[in-house]
Amino acid sequence: MMNPTGASCLPAKPLQPASTHISAAEIAEEFSHHHPSVARLNNGSFGSCPASVSAAQLRWQRLFLRQPDEFYFHHLKPGILRSRALVRDLINAVDIEEISLVDNATTAVAIVLQHASWSFAEGAFRKGDAVVIFQHAYPAVKKAIHAYIARSGGHIIEVPLAFPVSSDEEIIREFCNALDRAKAEGRRVRLAVICHVTSMPSVVIPVKELTAICREAGVDQVFVDGAHSIGNVKVDVQDIGADFYTSNFHKWFFCPPSAAFLYAQKAPTSPPLHHPVVSHEYGNGLPTESSWIGTRDYSSQLVVPSAMEFISRFEGGIEGIQERNHESVVKMGKMLADAWETLLGSPPGMCSSMIMVGLPNCLGVSSETDALSLRSLLREEFKVEVPVYFHPEEDKNHGVTTGYVRISHQVYNVEDEYYRLRDAVLKLVQDGILAR
Amino acid sequence: MDGQHDDHRVDANGRSQEEREGPLPKRPRPLLASLSAAEIAEEFSHHDPQVARVNNGSFGCCPASVVSAQIRWQRLFLRQPDEFYFRHLHPSIDRSRALVRQLINAPHLDDVSLVDNATTAAAIVFQNVAWSFMEGVFDRGDAVVMLHYAYGAVKRSIKAYVGRAGGHVVEVALPFPLSSPDEVVAEFRRALELCRADGRRVRLAVIDHVTSMPSVVIPVKELTRICREEGVDQVFVDGAHSIGNVEVDMQDIGADFYASNLHKWLFCPPSVAFLHTRHSSAAGRRLHHPVVSHEYGNGLPLESGWIGNRDYTPQLVVPTALEFAERFEGGLEGIRRRNHERVVEMGRMLAAAWGTQLGCPPEMSCSMIMVGLPSGLGIASEKDAMGLRALLREEFKVEVPIYYNKQSPDEDGEDKIGAAAVTGYARISHQVYNVAEDYYRLRDAINKLVRDGFNCTLLPSKEQR
Repeated sequence: MMNPTGASCLPAKPLQPASTHISAAEIAEEFSHHHPSVARLNNGSFGSCPASVSAAQLRWQRLFLRQPDEFYFHHLKPGILRSRALVRDLINAVDIEEISLVDNATTAVAIVLQHASWSFAEGAFRKGDAVVIFQHAYPAVKKAIHAYIARSGGHIIEVPLAFPVSSDEEIIREFCNALDRAKAEGRRVRLAVICHVTSMPSVVIPVKELTAICREAGVDQVFVDGAHSIGNVKVDVQDIGADFYTSNFHKWFFCPPSAAFLYAQKAPTSPPLHHPVVSHEYGNGLPTESSWIGTRDYSSQLVVPSAMEFISRFEGGIEGIQERNHESVVKMGKMLADAWETLLGSPPGMCSSMIMVGLPNCLGVSSETDALSLRSLLREEFKVEVPVYFHPEEDKNHGVTTGYVRISHQVYNVEDEYYRLRDAVLKLVQDGILAR
Repeated sequence: MDGQHDDHRVDANGRSQEEREGPLPKRPRPLLASLSAAEIAEEFSHHDPQVARVNNGSFGCCPASVVSAQIRWQRLFLRQPDEFYFRHLHPSIDRSRALVRQLINAPHLDDVSLVDNATTAAAIVFQNVAWSFMEGVFDRGDAVVMLHYAYGAVKRSIKAYVGRAGGHVVEVALPFPLSSPDEVVAEFRRALELCRADGRRVRLAVIDHVTSMPSVVIPVKELTRICREEGVDQVFVDGAHSIGNVEVDMQDIGADFYASNLHKWLFCPPSVAFLHTRHSSAAGRRLHHPVVSHEYGNGLPLESGWIGNRDYTPQLVVPTALEFAERFEGGLEGIRRRNHERVVEMGRMLAAAWGTQLGCPPEMSCSMIMVGLPSGLGIASEKDAMGLRALLREEFKVEVPIYYNKQSPDEDGEDKIGAAAVTGYARISHQVYNVAEDYYRLRDAINKLVRDGFNCTLLPSKEQR
């Protein structure tokens, strides 16, 4: 399947018109495989993948099945390298060797934390040295911290996040308090794990400021978990200055499940990072290790260029998409908060393409289970897909909002979907339905 | 291959065919008659028609009907991923696990996990060993034994986890060519004796069921029994090539851990494998998937069932792959038997044509066999082997892995079997899509190279990897 110039060739796809931006009709066509009856307000959880990128993925998969040995020897490495080079430019990294492609942020977290756990085991870190993490870090990340750090003898310090949150200063203050606590206890902070965009509840964290604070306070390494970031908020790794940064391409960057990058700043880390699934390339650097972890389907990593092509069809490219998503989600969030007479979970400036909107208290969301039940109810009865967050009351302060929805806005969303959510909740209120 | 039987249009209620009929749209049920040659060719019509594909062992194969099923699952996810996650994923993984359990004669479903591949399974087992060293359950210097012909990636994994954590790694030297399983058993016993003499406790034995290069079938049941006798703590059988290739019976083999890829010989797309742990194994209950997510602590099967957002569809098409296998006479067993018979037949044909020999007796082979290459080709290094493989692919469109055998001949310049020093072997595979012509093309390609006076010193110095 090599063309005469020797270039690796995928079967050609239809050419796109040169200068016009993608139209509303074309966008609808690209996402026509979405369930047409569902108000899909949860791009944050599982992302989305346009038809043209799926088609590119299928072409890669067929190329493998056609002649897998040829694929392995001729197409895989150059394809991955091409994706990595694009990522390097996208996130303003210095060197392509800083960029590894992995399955997802969950895998990136395992890589960084396993590295830390070896440091404890091998004596580079002492038992009782601390790792700092946000209280509202993604639950899977907290389990990974337990599985690797706590198990190796590390001490975990949690930074509380007030919610609803009203300013960056609140977050920065709590973070500084946590570092002070460590200092007071005489603990060396080896690693700070900072979310860029938290999941539940979702707010944008001032990672650049927090990273700078970490440097001042002598924290060894900073790992920014930007699972939601790329395609959602600006990601400039040199500007942020963290040692490690990860983000998923399949959430907000139109890749199929699943592909993510792990950025590791080029600096001597001793010992080096390793992928936990060890294969032939062990010892050749994380990017190369990650590019072969046994026979599997690497096609979702290979379509990053196709995703970028898709994005370039939009006015303003990825920045344009981010801006418009943010504006739309804030507008719809305010619309819902007004209709329900509730509030937003954060100021618009602290949210991304997602925003938290308080639910009417009479729905009685008083536990995680209630939140899940309400979510199921909305899915089954109203065909509205939106995650529901339960926020525990403090001090039994009655009147505090305990339930929130996290609405997302992506290019395929239309206003009607948010009206359907509005009306569904109003109907539940009207009918006196309780979340449980 | 795009799923001719798909129907993603919606009805008047906005429901898709999936919603009306259940997760996978129904396909016409196959008749009970076995697949014809034409139907088999159709199922694999996506293979490059010009290539003599005699390397099923490396990357496996996936018939069109299984690919279609996978696409339907992928579309189901893309259509409404939250619904997929909350309703379909878990039960579908369980369905696959249940079929695997039956297939491998495992007594408990809880002992069966689905993971990406044998490489991942190995990482799971070895990471657990590393923790045991780090937490003082094992002492520094305790040994882990592996075969010399263990897969390269597995050897690295052992060093990355066990070696790094303070374990002592022992390799069992294996002769090649082989003339009987007794040679393997003898070497294995010798390695265990050496450990005993050294005063080392053997914590884990890693035993390939079917080695990769060179490929032979190892008497795993006997070696596992010897391990029990000799007080080896844990036995991990790396059966990467096994399922669909040789018989795989968990209760019969009795290892603590057993892993095999379903995308090599069981018609699944890349990639899916199972890892089985023996129910009574205490270590088994402490296994964790290295990618930690929500299910951490709920047992390896559940942990492996969610390791973050990814494409789990290869795990979901196991039922479809088994359905495909059942369409052959004798089912999977029939396929195995015929593959073995054919590959031995073709191996002998090639050895006769080249004036060489097989690398092992037929009863130590499976659906793959090693065939000596003419010594005139002058294969003198791994690089030569890779170069010859590339040459066969590019000039002759024959895909076959080449093995460079470092074992030195005896004083007469002959190897153990008495033939002229054969340094290179081709590992030929036979799978249901292969035809005799594939092997004749390999035969003729090699004969032409020999006739033309080719030898590996003539290979271009810069070979594309």
